[in-house]
Parts: sequence; structure tokens; C-alpha cells
Amino acid sequence: MARLFPQIICGFFGVVLFVLYFLKAPSAKSLYLTITSDYWQIIFAFALLVGVASFIRVNIKKLSKLSESPYVITGLLGLFAMPVMALLWGIKGDSPFMWVFENVQVPLQATVFALLAFFVASASLRGFKARSLPATILLVSALIALLSRSDIFGWFGNSALEFSEWVRSYPSMSARRGILIGIGLGSVTTSLRVILGIERTWLGKDR
Amino acid sequence: MNSRQSRHLAFAGLFIVVTVTMLLNISIVATVSNETKQMFDYLDGLPERSNIIVSFDHEASSLPEMKPLGLVILRHLFAKDHNLIGVALLAEGTGVGYRLMQETAKEYNKEYGRDYVFLGFKPQFIAAILSMGESIGGTFPEDYLGNTTSEIELLSDIHNYDDVAAVVSLADGSLTTHWIEYGNEKYGVQVSAAVAASMLTTYDPYISSGQLKAMVGGLRGAAEYENLLGIGGSGARSMLAQSSAHLYIILLIIIGNVTYFRSRKKG
Amino acid sequence: MDPGTIVAGILTIAILSFLYGDNPVYKMAETLLVGVSMGYVLVITWTNTLMAVLFKPLFVESQLWLVIPLIFGLFMFGRFHKSTSFLSRYSMAVLIGSGAGVAIPAMLGARTLRQMTATVEMVQGDSFMMIFSGMVVVVGLFSTLSYFYFSREHEGIMGRSARVGTYFLMIFFGTTFGYTVMSRVSTFIGRMDFLLSDFLHLTN
Repeated sequence: MARLFPQIICGFFGVVLFVLYFLKAPSAKSLYLTITSDYWQIIFAFALLVGVASFIRVNIKKLSKLSESPYVITGLLGLFAMPVMALLWGIKGDSPFMWVFENVQVPLQATVFALLAFFVASASLRGFKARSLPATILLVSALIALLSRSDIFGWFGNSALEFSEWVRSYPSMSARRGILIGIGLGSVTTSLRVILGIERTWLGKDR
Repeated sequence: MNSRQSRHLAFAGLFIVVTVTMLLNISIVATVSNETKQMFDYLDGLPERSNIIVSFDHEASSLPEMKPLGLVILRHLFAKDHNLIGVALLAEGTGVGYRLMQETAKEYNKEYGRDYVFLGFKPQFIAAILSMGESIGGTFPEDYLGNTTSEIELLSDIHNYDDVAAVVSLADGSLTTHWIEYGNEKYGVQVSAAVAASMLTTYDPYISSGQLKAMVGGLRGAAEYENLLGIGGSGARSMLAQSSAHLYIILLIIIGNVTYFRSRKKG
Repeated sequence: MDPGTIVAGILTIAILSFLYGDNPVYKMAETLLVGVSMGYVLVITWTNTLMAVLFKPLFVESQLWLVIPLIFGLFMFGRFHKSTSFLSRYSMAVLIGSGAGVAIPAMLGARTLRQMTATVEMVQGDSFMMIFSGMVVVVGLFSTLSYFYFSREHEGIMGRSARVGTYFLMIFFGTTFGYTVMSRVSTFIGRMDFLLSDFLHLTN
């Protein structure tokens, strides 16, 4: 029963939403939006709360480890400071909440992301080798893309740019389109399997 | 040289190349690609005072790339006197989007509520896109600043996508796909995009099929767009560093391969 | 100097210090980022969803039907205890079921049929180059699809087609790698631009 009822609910919502997608009646549209907008948002919001609660629980457990505690405290301080600031001064315009977002979160996040440039450089030196024909094609395509977008003082003129655009617009695009259609068909199949109750991995295992 | 040393050397090289070229402070006029020109022409060709949704669909991590893109798009749209409706489909796009709109609106003497409005963030992007197709005011009962949307002058004649000429999605990930698959497919709204360079190839099939009207990508795309607008900016200023870093990476690939083939020959 | 710029500058350097090696300063900055980002999303979700979509309409405007998603939402907390963990399956059932129902028409229309139509249309070009390019796309598309078709052995024509598909995939991955390099370098340039101009005042 613990697995059957959720399956029935899942199939019911799947069929209803599929049918509602095509209906034009205002009541059908309204029901469609109620589920996709309100239900989804609310359940996801609670899922986020569960995630935050788990984060706090895991970190509190770690507090006892002396070597970890300064980091745990910093993380938790960051987590609690944001809601406290939001509660005290609001979240709009020039509030302290936005100040922390702009001067702490944005630079930290952007710089962590920027580190990837260095790993890409390291990978280019150590891993990007023409070991086989496919690897050579991969390498040459990457070089074409990079070269065409490196026109220092017009060293590489329009023809390089046009050729690179052709590679992107036709051979490269066709492979991407193949992946896209593959994902599309795969998603439709998986969705049907979920609705019909054939795909049940989302239910997890009974504990 | 061991792997740790070679990694550190590759790191140091990139750091030096970017720092030195940035210290030179030289702006480069970037050769405009067809892609950027298409995007420029598309937005330029929209009738005056069109209602346009600018969706900030990116996170804070990609801001160094997305901000110059956002700026050129907003400058172009404000310069053409369009009515702009800002929304954010990712939480972090909220603060960024409002700031960008506010900054550029000031440059063009645009008034909040009359020429532009920022509706803020709506979680669950698919739900938000579908919901705006029925009612923008219903999806956002209040704007970012807490004003009731039904009382905002700009929105008095804008009910849903039927009243919107175009959506410009500023995205660092796959969110533009949802604008295409739900906004365009179900409601027929025209979608264009300014995306992080890494996402350009992802969207190529949609450009080819016409589901995406036009797109511009990356810091280089921003520099090209600045060129078309006839203004300077961080895009043009960064092009020397960008191009030099590309050449540096190419050099690393060549060195890596020469070393590989030599070692294979030896043994 | 603006205090915000000082804080942002110090934090930027703290993260960049990872390039030399993992160190306590980097680790501290990293955990701060995790905490602050989570706090940010929490606040935004609270104000934009829970207050705006649930609590205000339910308790102030008495839209009682919102009790249903509220219950489904509360079921998510069931995950914290063995005896109640089954409850969260009901919430997941709503999300997964409705998500599947919404996805079918969108995926079939926008991703599959429209992309297939566009491919066929590409062959009908006006010039030799356009027809040639269109043919390249057709060959690329079908060979790529055959590479991903696992219901038959990749032997004979199927094997050759799948091999050609690999080459097209390599062109796509290579091009994407090139543009990804561009993207990551741009992000680093953006941070350096901030450090050199706003923080250190070495450039304008």
C-alpha cells in the first residue's frame, strides 16, 4: 500500500496534466496552472526547507570535531545571518541582505567559477591529446572554435570566423540535434513509463 | 617535471597572460560575427515601444560574463524606447536584474513604472513561464518593490504573451530551452537569448529550426554588440585578455601534444 | 574605498588562493559561500513562495484549497523519520506525475517533431552550398541517432553509421569545449577586472 497509492496518485496527475495541456476551456487552464504553479512551487519550497534542515543537522553533528568546527560555524553563520538580516531590514534595494549578496555571495561564487579557467588550462596541457581519429577531430574542432574567436588586431580575418560558424551551424549542430531528439524521445518514454507505473525507481526502497 | 609542477605552471601562465594584458588597458574592436549581427538586427527591427520581457535566467557565478551581455541588451532596448518588463527565473537573477535595469534606465532617463518595471523572482521556472502565458499580473501580483502590478501604468495594457513582442532570456544554463519549449511552443511568444559562451552550441539547433529567433553569446558577443551599438564597455576592454588567453590555451594544447608524440616515439 | 569592494576583494583573493593548494583561508571562504547561498535561497523562497503563494492567500485571503498543497509540502518532512518517510512519496508522486504529464507534449513537439521538420527543410536550399550543408546535417543527425541506438548491435551498416556519428559527436564536443574555454576565461577576466580596477586601482 505504501507504494501502490503514490503510484496511483502519480499516474492520475500525469494523465490529468497531459490532457489539460491541450484543453482551451478557462476552467481547464485554471486547473492546469493551479497544479503547475501553486502545487509545484509549494512542494518544492518545502523540499528546500527539508534540505536546509538536513544541512543544519549534518553540520551540528560535525561541530564536535575540533578541526572542522571553525568551518562549520562559518557556514552556519552565513546561513543564519541572511534570514536574520532579511527579517530586520528587508531584502530590497540597499538593504544589508542585498549588500551581503552583492559583496559576499556574488564575488565568492563568481571566483569559484573562475577557477575552472585554470583547470581547463591544465586539462588542455595534460589531457587533450590526438591519440586516435575521434580524439584528433575533437582537438581540431576545439582549435577552430578557439582560433576563430581570437582575432587580435585582425590576425585572423573573416574567413576563419565564417568557417568556424559553418562548423558550428552544420556538422556540430547536427550532432547536438541528434542528442536533443534522443533526449526528447527518451523523456517521452520515461514519462510514459512513470505514468503507467512501469518506472518505479523514484519510489525508492522500502526501509 | 612532475604533474603538480606542470599544473602550477599552466595556472601561472594563464594568470600572467590575463593580468598583463589587462594592465595594458587596450580596447579592441571585435570583428562582428553573423550571429551577433542577427541578434542586433532582430532587436533593432522590433517596432518602437514594443513590450519586451527581459528574463534574468542566470546565477551569480556567471555574472562576469552575463553582466556585459545584459548591459548591451538593455542599452539597446532602452535606446529604442521599448517597454521593458524584467523578471528573474533563478533566485540569484533577482538582485542582479534589478540593479542592471536600474543602472541602464538611469543612463536613458527612463522612469520606473512607465518605461520599465522589474517583477522579481518566481520559483519553478516552467510553472512561471506557463503562468505568464495566461496572466502576467496573476503570476506577479506585486513587483519587486512591492507595488501592486495592477496599479502599474506600464502593465495596464499588458496581460499575457499576446501583448508581448519578444522575450530576451539572459541565461547561463538551459533555462532558455524552457522559454522555447513552453513559452514559444504553447503560447507562440518569440524568444531570443543572450547566453554564456559555453551554452552557444547547446542552442544551435533551436536557431536552425527558428524556435529561437536570434542569440548572442559570451563576453566576446558582448564586445561585438558594443561595437554595433557604437559604445565602449567591459566587453571591448577585455578582448585583448580574452584573445591572448585563447592563444595561450592553444599553445598548451600544442605543447601537450608535442610532448606526447615525442614520448611515444621514444618508447 | 567602499567597504563592499574591500570585502569582495579579500574574498576573491581567498578563493584564488586555492590555485596554490587547498588551504584554511580558501576552505573558510568556501563554507561561507555555501552558508550564504543557502540563506539567500531560503529567504527568497520564503518571501516569494511560502508567504506570497501559500501563507498569505491561505490565512489572510482564506483560499482554503491551498491546504492540499500545504499537506503535500508538509509530507516532505516525513523523510526525517523511518516510520513517516513513506509520506514524502505522496509529495514526490504529485511532482513526478504532473511533471511527466507536462513534459510529454512539450518534449514531443518542441524537441522532437520541430527538430525533425527543421532538418528536412534544410535540404531544400537555394544554392549548392546550402543543399550540401543540409545534407551534412541529415547525415550527422541520423548517424548520431544510430550511435545512440542500442537495441541493435553496432555491426555492418549500423556499425559504420554509428562510427560516423562518433565523428560528428566529436565535432560537437570539440566546438563546445572551445566555447566553454571562452566562457570560463571570461569569468576569470571579469574577476581580474574587478581586482585590478575596483580593488587595486591599477587600471581604469
